[in-house]
Amino acid sequence: MTNTEKHPTRRGFLDWLIGIGTSVTGLAMAVPALMYLWPAARTGGSDNVEVEGASDMAPGQSKTVQVGGKAVIVVRSHGGFEAYSAICTHLGCLVQWDGTKRQFLCPCHAAAFDAQGRVVSGPPPAPLPPYRVKEVAGKVYVSPT
Amino acid sequence: MGLSHRIKSFLDDRFDTATARTIIDQQAHKRLPPHTSWFHVFGSLSLLLFVSQTITGILLLVYYRPTPEDAHQSIQYITAEVHFGWLYRQIHAWGATLMILVVLLHMLRTYFHGAYKKPRELTWITGVLIFILTITFGFTGYLLPWNQIAFWATTVGTESANKVPYIGGWLRYLLRGGDAVTGETLSRFFVLHVIILPWLLTGLVVIHLLLMRLNNLTTLERVGEEKPVPPDSGIPFFPVHVAKEGVVAVLLLAVLVTLSVLAPWEIGEPADPLSTPPHIKPEWYFLPSYQLLKYFEGPYGAMIGIVACSVPFLLLFLWPFLDRGKERHPRKRPLAVAFGVLGLVAALFLGYLGHISETEQTFFGKRYHIDLLGWPHEIVEEQGDAEQAH
Repeated sequence: MTNTEKHPTRRGFLDWLIGIGTSVTGLAMAVPALMYLWPAARTGGSDNVEVEGASDMAPGQSKTVQVGGKAVIVVRSHGGFEAYSAICTHLGCLVQWDGTKRQFLCPCHAAAFDAQGRVVSGPPPAPLPPYRVKEVAGKVYVSPT
Repeated sequence: MGLSHRIKSFLDDRFDTATARTIIDQQAHKRLPPHTSWFHVFGSLSLLLFVSQTITGILLLVYYRPTPEDAHQSIQYITAEVHFGWLYRQIHAWGATLMILVVLLHMLRTYFHGAYKKPRELTWITGVLIFILTITFGFTGYLLPWNQIAFWATTVGTESANKVPYIGGWLRYLLRGGDAVTGETLSRFFVLHVIILPWLLTGLVVIHLLLMRLNNLTTLERVGEEKPVPPDSGIPFFPVHVAKEGVVAVLLLAVLVTLSVLAPWEIGEPADPLSTPPHIKPEWYFLPSYQLLKYFEGPYGAMIGIVACSVPFLLLFLWPFLDRGKERHPRKRPLAVAFGVLGLVAALFLGYLGHISETEQTFFGKRYHIDLLGWPHEIVEEQGDAEQAH
């Protein structure tokens, strides 16, 4: 082993300093940039939404509204109102209510959910999550459960 | 003294132009292997389409506005009001699809000539990266008109990212800029499409071309036994091969303009986040993956499907290291050729099934409903309906 390999030289120290300095500076610039790219938390709108024109809906009819930035489908049955996430759990298309079949149908991959949001057929791996419905003074409000 | 002579002597006085000229001459007059044919033009055509996409993209940027309120309207404005706006938009849209096709053809030629083998493994890998960037260009550009099909195809596409094991949820959130496809997604895709991807692709294309020039075009000789093409044989790059490329380039531009005029891309309805149109399907280059994903059901089905869809890309990257055979000539590598043909046929078949799934088709005079998975179900006409029809 030579003397220069045993003892650090000035050139070796400068190489090391430049390497460490470049890495630290790069990291110091990359971390905030990556954090900047991470989406800032947004509520995406109110979490307690009034369903406009709910009183005009006949039993068997449905309406899609946005709650907290997410699509929710509200169905009027003879017993009252029920609401489920309108986002198909397969690949995110919006389901539509078929009043005759009493099923939520996905137009993308032919999935079907029953009136309680359970998977009847097709590829979805999970049921439609339910939403809370409140009727106050003739008005209908939907919010996450 | 003429102006060109003055410029030349100005440069000669300041730089070592003689060396530069020698290098350029060497490259321009390089002899290509004797088997160099019309199939060797796809690389240059890909480059030509990339240049065309860049120019038409810059022109579209002058009027395009990347916000949910303005995007669709600005595309309508470009198409209906701006001089030749319709033409540049169509050339850009058709150019995108043709570029993917031409890059694919270039890869097929490279594969069947065994040009990915030593010492050209890195050239192949940069080529695979170029292919992936090209389809990413297609995916990000597709959303920009902010129409119904684009919006929901992006929703489905980004939702697929959610199925990636472990990091899927984060990936979807990062891609969309939130939980759903919104204006944030449009901004992100816009920045990716017009700034990040073009620079990445430019860098990769430069590296790819340098590697190709350093290693020369492959001959069909065995690995390690390649001999340089002597100066008195082979095909001169300039003017013979360049002329061939020129002919095909003019034909390609003619096809591009013809398609733009005769088969224009529709602008479509503006995006409506509260209504999904029926039977959303991706562009043709995503159809094989789209169809393959459908065969994986159950709680972990989509996750397994995503892994299955990534296998072909992984194989493409690793192929130069998996196929260690010395032979390059397609006739001497039956297994590799059979594997390539099988992969191609499988992709075409899956793509076709994806295209016809959830539609009605007629085969041999009978009407069939093609279900989600591609199985045909004969449509039997009811007796009453038939009589009524008569």
